Amino acid sequence: MPLHERDIYYFIDVTVAYLNKVTGNEIVLRDPTIEFQSLVFSAYTGLLHLKGGAEGFVYITASQEFLQHLYTARHSRGRFTEENCRDVMNDIATAIAHNVHKRFGPALHVSEPRIFSTVPDDPIEMPPAVFVQPFSWRNELAYFVLGLNSSQIT
Amino acid sequence: MTGTEIYKRTATYERDAQAIRLHAPQWKLLLAYDGQRTLAEVALSADVPFAEALPLTEKFLDRGWIEEQPITLDQYLERAGMHGVSATGTAVPPAVILHEPKPETQKLPSLDAEKIVAPPPPQNIAPSASLARGSMRLSAVIDSIISAAGNNSLGQLLAYRVFLRVPPDLLLAEGIATVHLVNDSSLVRNETLQRAISNAFNEIVKKSLPDSVFAAA
Repeated sequence: MPLHERDIYYFIDVTVAYLNKVTGNEIVLRDPTIEFQSLVFSAYTGLLHLKGGAEGFVYITASQEFLQHLYTARHSRGRFTEENCRDVMNDIATAIAHNVHKRFGPALHVSEPRIFSTVPDDPIEMPPAVFVQPFSWRNELAYFVLGLNSSQIT
Repeated sequence: MTGTEIYKRTATYERDAQAIRLHAPQWKLLLAYDGQRTLAEVALSADVPFAEALPLTEKFLDRGWIEEQPITLDQYLERAGMHGVSATGTAVPPAVILHEPKPETQKLPSLDAEKIVAPPPPQNIAPSASLARGSMRLSAVIDSIISAAGNNSLGQLLAYRVFLRVPPDLLLAEGIATVHLVNDSSLVRNETLQRAISNAFNEIVKKSLPDSVFAAA
């Protein structure tokens, strides 16, 4: 049984909640789109595969500057490196996975986060369409991307 | 400005062209005005979001580089999907209504986007009951879905479920690679695609698509 939209929205909800916690509620949701032709990847991406109640994937992808602002908001000092970018992205993806697991339990299997820069090493199969929810903070953009397999449309 | 206006470049543009300095996407839009296609069609062909095309068009008008191209009634009727004055008598045809978006705040990703082509259509499209003849306004389809969901955020995800059922190659053939869930300006003219969207709406929303999503023909 495919997840209800309320349950799917929970993924976006926990992402925004996590980012707002770090940024002091400064995340702005931009107008979402549905993309039919291509997946969108920014500088760094945290990918989670879904199985069970929803089959497909979610990922967060963000510019380096967006992650740098997040890093600075949390650590306030220290040199910002590529490793920091990956760590920040890993924290976001892990927070999503943790919250989703807490809510859905074994009914929905969420993979370990896969973090990569630019584009994935292993190609991701493009579903018929992906849902893209952009966020902005301090003029920098990040994107929540949801791709459900076509079996999720009964 | 609604998107139905037709513009052409002017003599001022021809005179000033060598001195004009624009970014490449702006040139693409400026060079796309041909005195034949509507602003909405020109924006689509130039890959410029409609919301960005509006202020640019105003800028070009202000500079005198383009001007509106009046069209005859026959041309208008042809564009509206009718077959000339003789076929319609003297009735004034209803306007083709395009959705006029507010200034768009969203910046679509340019970045290092990986292009992965969508798979072929997963299903056959069964002919459905009678459909109106005019173009289908995607903005109105999305509004109907959101209205059925009773909640904006959930409605947008429901719209995603609906469009998961629409063969992507039909959308791409119509020049639709992206559906904006707020203020989409696309018009669907292809009847097969209209049927596919209508069927997907029926199956997911469990209602019939209202006739109001069609621009009057």
